[in-house]
Amino acid sequence: MLKTTRRNAIGLSAATLAACAAAERAQAQAQTITAADATAPRLPLESGATLRMLRPVRFVQPDEDVFRANCARFTQATGVQVRVDFVGWEDITQQTAVTANTGAGPDLIIGFNESPHVYADKLVELSDVAEYLGKRYGGWLALAQRYGKRHGTNNWIGLPFGSTGGPLVYRKSAVNAAGYERPPEDLPNFLDLCRKLKQAGKPSGFALGNAVGDGNGFANWVVWSHNGFLVNEDGTVGINSRETVAALHYLKELYATFIPGTLSWGDVSNNRAYASNECWLTANGVSLYFALKNDPATRAIAEDTEHMLLPKGLASASPMAGLTLNAMVFKHSRYPNASKALLQFLLEREQMDPWLNANLGYWAHPLANYDASAVWTSDPKVTLFRDTMRSPFWIGYKGPISEASAAANAEYVMVQMCASVASGQATPEAAAREAERRAQRFFRRR
Amino acid sequence: MTDIAVETRNTAAAAPEHMAWDSRARRMVMLWLPLGCFLLILLFPFYWMAITSFKPNAELYDFRAHNPFWITSPTLDHIHKLLFETAYPRWLMTTMLVAVCSTVLSLFSSTLAAYAIQRLRFRGSQYVGLAIYLAYLVPPSIQFIPLATMVYQLGLFDTPFALILTYPTFLIPFCTWLLIGYFKSIPYELEECALIDGATRLQILRRITLPLAVPGLISAGIFSFTLSWNEFIYALAFIQSSESKTVPVAILTELVTGDVYQWGALMAGSLLGSLPVAIFYSFFVDYYVSSLTGAVKE
Repeated sequence: MLKTTRRNAIGLSAATLAACAAAERAQAQAQTITAADATAPRLPLESGATLRMLRPVRFVQPDEDVFRANCARFTQATGVQVRVDFVGWEDITQQTAVTANTGAGPDLIIGFNESPHVYADKLVELSDVAEYLGKRYGGWLALAQRYGKRHGTNNWIGLPFGSTGGPLVYRKSAVNAAGYERPPEDLPNFLDLCRKLKQAGKPSGFALGNAVGDGNGFANWVVWSHNGFLVNEDGTVGINSRETVAALHYLKELYATFIPGTLSWGDVSNNRAYASNECWLTANGVSLYFALKNDPATRAIAEDTEHMLLPKGLASASPMAGLTLNAMVFKHSRYPNASKALLQFLLEREQMDPWLNANLGYWAHPLANYDASAVWTSDPKVTLFRDTMRSPFWIGYKGPISEASAAANAEYVMVQMCASVASGQATPEAAAREAERRAQRFFRRR
Repeated sequence: MTDIAVETRNTAAAAPEHMAWDSRARRMVMLWLPLGCFLLILLFPFYWMAITSFKPNAELYDFRAHNPFWITSPTLDHIHKLLFETAYPRWLMTTMLVAVCSTVLSLFSSTLAAYAIQRLRFRGSQYVGLAIYLAYLVPPSIQFIPLATMVYQLGLFDTPFALILTYPTFLIPFCTWLLIGYFKSIPYELEECALIDGATRLQILRRITLPLAVPGLISAGIFSFTLSWNEFIYALAFIQSSESKTVPVAILTELVTGDVYQWGALMAGSLLGSLPVAIFYSFFVDYYVSSLTGAVKE
């Protein structure tokens, strides 16, 4: 039991004052986000409403703390109790499947990417809330619109909360020593840089194993940067193309410059290799930078680390589709209005801006006016992540987002195509044919 | 003189039998080398888990500067974080509760089922046995969605009962088959004698069969406990509250944040989580071995 002493009391008062000051500062910062006058949708709260939400586990502790505090403020404002449970990133898909298929469980889930599109017929439409928020905060960014709206319609079935990109993470000293100011945007020079890094004993490395974020991110970049794609706009498979074969030939040369072992890399492998000076150029979210920065043993590496969007290659924009948090409300919920009101509340500037700041730039905002959030100027190395949701690429590019595109991604069709070429198991032509055959299994039956 | 003779005889009896074809080199190649390889493969993961639990992060991530197989400056930080900054003790208690209850429930049901199938020999008993075995072959990844529907309808979702009552779906078929085999090795004549003496079927089960089947029950219990302790997919699907999770699911949720794996704490969680199973095994290992060789030696 805590014994109340004068010293304790002074300490507690100081902590309380500090917390109050931080909250006031956060609210003041939030007011710098421009918000236009817009009429909020009428959402009469159901009497006796209580809500239950599932979301992926935090990136850093303040993510969870601020999110819970925001929900508590909603309770304070409306009287609706909100319970939030956090689930592992790899596990949220199964939890969503169980919830959707049994028609019971949490009222709302914040899942990833295309989840709302897989369970579209089991979800409450969110167009009224989305339109209001879009008007109020300068419009939804490209990736948010892609993941939020049902394909070919203006009907919102998901409300994106943020997205995390995986740009290049590199050691400035090594890249400079190789004769480049920063990694080049064009593919031949990028290959040249990787060769020089290898010669210098400071190799690059990108995941070619079944890694949800890094593996898919790299395989997509290889193909998209050569103007290849998995699916045509009409939803037919388009992976077996001249562009894909060219991309795979390029990969074969690029792979020779990698650190050994990337074929078995999972999402965490490049973090470890980079932190131990084994790998000097890779692709990752901002988590790697903060992990290095927060550990005194690796702070020097963080200081030498820079970020850059993945090289454009032949594409018009950096080929990168961020991992996107996408909220959905289930029809089985007895309190759909309260659920929608909660999502709306969480995306308002008073809640959203402190949450973005708490995440240190890990989650990039979905609404344009949050460009002004202080998080993007808090550390110059983080600023680049601000535009993650402006990307014109998405998982399953450039076809409609559907259950099929989700399945093809979950089965690592692109990753395994790249890995088979890199390992020498298949020629680029054979690998593209095999990927086409596998992709057709998913896209044909739907 | 007599004492010396006895001692010599005893020593000779205690020494291992030495055949003409046997030699030190042969024993090395045929016995110690395979045994050494086996032990290495079996124990290395535990060794790795143990040293990772006590390694500081700097040593964990830099194999060039630090020997990956040893610790130079051990730390208790990971254990401290696990025990005092997460709800690990509570997860451990939940896992224990679920494993013990589902094991007891499964053993009770399996004993009755196995006895009925093996001894009562009712019409179609063989087919019932086969059906139970087939039920065991249905993978949990197929069963979890229909089971989830039932769990919701019974109002058990997100409670330990969701696991206590669903784990027997794979434990009962397994234990039943194990016990059918075990009951088969108990001579039927013993039961016939009891029947002649006027014992009822339940009395025979309680006073004759079960005491002889203790090693088999312990063996089935150990298997059930271990399977329940390590189960992942039902625990993941039926429990959503952070505080009601079992160890295998909870440590992943709490200690893997995005692509940042807190390896030290994860391994500490696995190490502490495997201790109860190891202790459980150590108590009953003799019974476990004897159960593999049959009940009554005829």
